[in-house]
Amino acid sequence: MHILSAASALPGPPVDNAALARRFGMDALWEQWVEAFIGTHARHLALDLESGKVVTTLADLAADAGARALAAAGVTAGEVDAVVLGTATPDRLMPATVNIVADRLGIDQVRTFQLQSGCSGAVQALDVARQLLLAGETGTVLVLGGDVIARFYDVARDLTRAAPAELVNYVLFGDAAGAAVVSARPAPGSAEVRALFTRLVGLGREPGAVLEWFGPADRDDDRPAATEDYKAIEKHVPEMTEEVLLELLRAVGWTDRDVDLVLPPQLSGRMTRLITDRLALPAAREVSVVDHAGNCGNAIVFLQLERALAGLAPGERAIGVSIESSKWIKAGFALEGGAS
Amino acid sequence: MISVEEYVTLLRDELALPVTEDDLGRSLDTVDAWDSVHLLTLCTLLERQTGRPLPFARVLEAPSLAAVYELATAS
Repeated sequence: MHILSAASALPGPPVDNAALARRFGMDALWEQWVEAFIGTHARHLALDLESGKVVTTLADLAADAGARALAAAGVTAGEVDAVVLGTATPDRLMPATVNIVADRLGIDQVRTFQLQSGCSGAVQALDVARQLLLAGETGTVLVLGGDVIARFYDVARDLTRAAPAELVNYVLFGDAAGAAVVSARPAPGSAEVRALFTRLVGLGREPGAVLEWFGPADRDDDRPAATEDYKAIEKHVPEMTEEVLLELLRAVGWTDRDVDLVLPPQLSGRMTRLITDRLALPAAREVSVVDHAGNCGNAIVFLQLERALAGLAPGERAIGVSIESSKWIKAGFALEGGAS
Repeated sequence: MISVEEYVTLLRDELALPVTEDDLGRSLDTVDAWDSVHLLTLCTLLERQTGRPLPFARVLEAPSLAAVYELATAS
């Protein structure tokens, strides 16, 4: 499989920690705490912070990113043989957002799939695309991923009363969508996927993150809509990242010195720095977006790929790792820059 | 101003930390369930209760719950 292009779409202007602090009535100390312990400076939100209303949909963002990726690859809507979207936060349960996006892009009469997925959703969607390409009937797949976590923001919430497991969600995440065009054949500027895997490792493990959804029967339920076991995440994601890296290196026969670019998990500015330091790849340039885009779920890997493809010279090698902590999935891929 | 008794009550009721006055002098990394998010919540509540800002750089260096209390109540 060859990645011909990657693109992203982010809603509105960046919302920095000072703007979040102002909106939630928090002070300088809160802002300093976010900088020190989360290390994420800004994120984009599909939300009007003043009114608390969601103003941009996942379909808006994914269609925007998809159109950009198609244009960058020089592929028309009619040349797309399948569309795969990964998301934890579809606009509606039905119709599937992937089909709304296909409609916006003028794509029809093809296979479409939507994965209910977390932070490794981009790699899962790429995995589905790869299987479709391997099966031989499909030549070109538009792969999408994104999340609009903004609907979980309650701008009237008193954050001093929020439990830690709920509070962190207000500063960790950002909204975005991303896209990649993949093909069985290389093209100028494309990168070859040398290895890629996703693997559920959640047997007997408690969820590290939970997003609830509500309907008329339980909409007044007082359970929090979004919670995170950040201690479990802090413990397991760094070690799992290292395991994925070693497995990928073994699969492609590279050593740690062969890696020119590393795309680490994007939990928060601080966690990503800790993970990258732990991997200690001697020659690798880090491709991270979390400092200014937040943890944007299913979009993350596409945002990283967009940057990586721009900087991956022919013959250069990249490793990407993504860990899904809701029910624990290890995922990663190895890329090699193709002929320019 | 906040008394030591009120401080312990705040830790127990608002932060759900199972501590008593005897735990205040313990090193923070030995306090059950303590983490950096608790630090944030504690400082925010203390600022509201005392009506004065806490110096975050010094809070970060506080070795114990007693040291945080002293920063919040120092004149």
